[in-house]
Amino acid sequence: MASITIEIDGNIVNAKAGERLITITDREGISVPRFCYHKKLSVSTSCRMCLVDIEGVTKPQTACSTPVSDGMKIHTQNEKAKASQKAVMEFLLINHPLDCPICDQGGECELQDVAVEYGSDVSRFSEGKRVVAPSDIGPLIQTDMTRCIHCTRCVRFGSEIAGIMEMGGTGRGEDLKIEPFLAEGITSELSGNMIDVCPVGALTSKPFRYELRSWQMASADSVARHDLVGSNLYAQTYKGLVKRVVSGDNELVNETWISDRDRFSYEGLAHENRLLLPQIKVEGQWKEVEWNVALDFAIKGLNKNALNSRKAHKLGGLASSTATTEEFYLMQKMLREIGCENIDYRLNVNNLDDPIHLDSNIKLSDLECVDNVLVIGANLRLEQPMINLRLRKAQLAGASVSALNVKAFDYNHKTNHSTVSPNEIATILAGALKVILEKNSLEAPSYITNINPSELSINLADKLLDSERSVIVLGEHVINNTQAASIAQMVAEIAKQVNGKTLNLTSSANTLGAQYAHFLPKSKGMNTNEMLAADMSAFLLLDIYPEYDFHHSNSAVEALSKDDVFVVSLNSFNNELVAQYSDVLLPMAAMYETSGSHVNINHDMQSFAAAVKAPEEAKPAWKILKVIADLLELPGFHYENVTQVSEELKHQKIYEHKQDITIDLGKKSSAIETIWMHSAYHSDALLRHAKSLSSSKIGQTNSASMNTATAKELSLECGNTYLGVPVVVSDTVADRCVFVSSNQSTDMGRES
Amino acid sequence: MINKLKKIIKSLSLSELRSGMKITGKELFNTKITVQYPEEKTPISPRFRGLHALRRYPNGEERCIACKLCEAVCPANAITIESEMRDDGTRRTTQYDIDLFKCIFCGFCEEACPVDAIVETQIFEYAFESRDGSIMTKDRLLKVGDDNEESISQARSEDAKYR
Repeated sequence: MASITIEIDGNIVNAKAGERLITITDREGISVPRFCYHKKLSVSTSCRMCLVDIEGVTKPQTACSTPVSDGMKIHTQNEKAKASQKAVMEFLLINHPLDCPICDQGGECELQDVAVEYGSDVSRFSEGKRVVAPSDIGPLIQTDMTRCIHCTRCVRFGSEIAGIMEMGGTGRGEDLKIEPFLAEGITSELSGNMIDVCPVGALTSKPFRYELRSWQMASADSVARHDLVGSNLYAQTYKGLVKRVVSGDNELVNETWISDRDRFSYEGLAHENRLLLPQIKVEGQWKEVEWNVALDFAIKGLNKNALNSRKAHKLGGLASSTATTEEFYLMQKMLREIGCENIDYRLNVNNLDDPIHLDSNIKLSDLECVDNVLVIGANLRLEQPMINLRLRKAQLAGASVSALNVKAFDYNHKTNHSTVSPNEIATILAGALKVILEKNSLEAPSYITNINPSELSINLADKLLDSERSVIVLGEHVINNTQAASIAQMVAEIAKQVNGKTLNLTSSANTLGAQYAHFLPKSKGMNTNEMLAADMSAFLLLDIYPEYDFHHSNSAVEALSKDDVFVVSLNSFNNELVAQYSDVLLPMAAMYETSGSHVNINHDMQSFAAAVKAPEEAKPAWKILKVIADLLELPGFHYENVTQVSEELKHQKIYEHKQDITIDLGKKSSAIETIWMHSAYHSDALLRHAKSLSSSKIGQTNSASMNTATAKELSLECGNTYLGVPVVVSDTVADRCVFVSSNQSTDMGRES
Repeated sequence: MINKLKKIIKSLSLSELRSGMKITGKELFNTKITVQYPEEKTPISPRFRGLHALRRYPNGEERCIACKLCEAVCPANAITIESEMRDDGTRRTTQYDIDLFKCIFCGFCEEACPVDAIVETQIFEYAFESRDGSIMTKDRLLKVGDDNEESISQARSEDAKYR
C-alpha cells in the first residue's frame, strides 16, 4: 500500500492508503471512543461511538470503518466530533440500566469509562427502559442482557474466531436481543473470551460472580500449562488466592485469546481435596506431621529400600507432564546423582519400546499461513484449541484441511473427514508416501513396495504434492496405536518429501519441557511400563493420579501398592488411591503457586513467577526436591531460587532418544480398537478439580461412540455401557472401532 | 522616663481591673450559653458525622449491595468488605467491617453510597471496652441503624433540600 500523510487534530501522521482510521489513531495514541470495534474482529460499525469529523465531509464519519486517503484532515476533538459522540452516548444510555453498583463489570467497564467523559449527568429520557429476561447459558458465563448495547462483539467472536455462531441477534430495533440460538447455551471451548470482549456487564464470569471488584486484585503475569501452547495470561489475586484469570496478549503464542480450560482451571486451587500438610503412613495409619519429620521419614525409607543397599536401580522416578521444566530438571538431576536411571514422564503410553519420534518444526504464527493441513488422529478443537484456532484461520484463508480420524469429529472449519480405523492409518500413509516417492522419481523403501495405494492415499498425496506450505499434524489419538512409531516415521518422511512441516501433538502440557530437562530414561534406564512390571523397591512420584494418568492404571496401582515398595508422593491433591499406595505425602504447590517455566510448541521457554503462595504447608516442588537432594547429601543443589535452576538448564539441548524403527505394516490387531481419551476438561489434576469446567457441556462428556455394526458385534445399544462408559451409536465412527471420550477415571475398566 | 511614669499612673488608677470588671458586669445580665453536659446537650446539625450505621429498607431488607465504593473511597482504608451471591441471587456482603480507630469521620463513605446504606449518625457518645471493640461489624452496624432509623431518616430529610 502506498504511503500517505494525513492530518489528525493538526498533527501530520504517516499512514498507508486504505488503512482504517481507527488503527492509525490507536497507533498514534489518539483516543477515539469505541464499543463495537475490536482489533481482532471484523468491523461492524454498529455502535457509532467512534464518530470523527473529516474536513470536506458534511456528516461525521465512523473511524472504525473509514479508510484514509492522502491529505485527509481529521478532527477527533472538535465541537462537531464531540457533539456527535455525546449524542451517540445519550442514545446508548437510553436503555442501559444504571446498576453499576451491582454490576460485576463496574470498575473495568468500557461504557462506564466513556460515559464519564461523554455522558450527560441528567437523562432526558423519561419513557420506560427496555428489560431483557435473563437466560442461563451455561456454568461459565453469566448473562445480564438488559445491559447489552448490541455491539455484537460476542456474536462476531463466535462466528469469526470460535467458529461456532452460538450467539446471535434476533428481532429488530428496540426488540433486538443478543442471545444464544440453542437452549443448551454456549458450549464453545473458547467461550470465556466473550467475557473479555464484552465492553459492558452483559457477559461476565459466572464462577467469579459478585466476588470482587477489579481494583481490589493484584495482577500477575503467568503462563497456562494445560496444553502445548502456553497461553500468556494474567492471574488476578486477592488475599493470596487466585480469583480470576484473564487473557494476556502475545502475538506469537495466543494472540489475545485463551481457552476456557486456561481461564477457569484456577477454581481447582481451592478444592477441598487439596493436600495441605505433610503426612506419613505409620503402621497403616496416616499421621499429619511437620515437614522435617516427613522428609526424614522419606529419606529413611528411600535409604532403606533403595540407596543404602546399592539398589538405586530399584528406584523409579515418575512425573506428570504438567510439571514445570525446573521440576523435571531437578528431579532427574537428583535421581541421576543417586545412580538411578529409571526416569519417565510418559505415563499413558501403551508401547514405550517403540516410542513416537517426530519434531514439531513450525511456529504457531506460521500455522496461519499454511495451504494444506493433514490432521492424523486428533480432535483438535477440544484437545489443542489454540492450535485449532490458527489452523482454522488458515482454512478460512483457503487452505485445504484433511483429517484421518477414527470419528468424523465436529471441527469448526471445513474439513475433508476420512474416518478410518487406527489399524489402517499406517497403510494409508505408506500408500501416500509411495505415490509421493514415485512422483519425485525416488526409489521406494522395501516396506512399501507391496503397498497398493488406495484412492484416499492418492488423494492425500496429490494434495500434499500440490501445496507449497503444508503441515502434517500428528494428534493424541495415535499415541497408543500399535504402529505409532511407524506412523510418526512416515509422517516425517512424507513431510520431508513435500517440503512440508510437522506438528507433533501426541503428548500435551509441558512434555517438551520434560524433553529439554532430559526427563527420560537413558541407556540402561527403565521406562514407565518396565518400571511398573519390574520388581521395584521404591518410587518417587511427582503429582501423579494413577486412576487418570496411567494407561495401565490397574496394574500401576498394583505395582505401587506392593508391601515392600516405598512410595514418596509429591502431590497437590489427595485422594483415596494416592493415600492407598503412598508412604509419604508431601504437599506441593499447584499451577500459579510455583515459579518455573513451560516449553511450548515454538520451543520457547516461557518463565513465570508464582502469583500466590501455596496454601498452608504446601511448598513448590522444586524446593521440596532441592531439600530432599540436600538431605541425601548430594552435591550441586545449592539453589537459592528457581532462576538459578532455569539458568543451568537453559543451554541444555532437547534429549532425542534416536532409535532405528523397522516399519512393519503387517503388525495389526484383529480385535475391536478402542481409543480412550479423557474429556478435554479432565486432562490434568487441576482441571479435574475445577468445578465449573466439570459441570460444563465439554466437562460432562462421557460417551463411547461406535457405529451400528460394531454395536451389534459387541451386542450393545444406546443405554448400555462399554468399559463403564455410556454407549452412543453413531455412524460417524469407523468400523470395528470405539472412540471413548470420558470424564471418568480409567480404572473403570479400560483394561478389561 | 515618661513611659515609666505612665505605667505607674495606670497601675495606681486600677484601669485594667475596671475594664475587666466591665465585661464581667455585662455578662452578668446576658443570656447564658454554658450547657450542663451530660444533663443538657447542644443541638446537632443534620450533617453531623458521628458513629456509622447500616440502614435497611422499610420492608426489613438491608440496603447494602456490596458495591464496595465506600471501601474504595475510604482515605483511611478503614472499611473491609467481602461479598458473595446470596441464595436469592442478589449481591450481598458477607462481611462489612469499619475500624473506628482508623476512621477519620470524613463522611466519604456516605457520599459514595449509591443506596444510602452506610450513614454517619448523630451519635457521638460511644466507648469501647476492649481492643477489638473498635471494629464495627456488619451486625453491630445494622443494629445501630435499626435502633436509630427514626433520627437517621429525619436528619436525611432535613438536609435533603440542600443537596
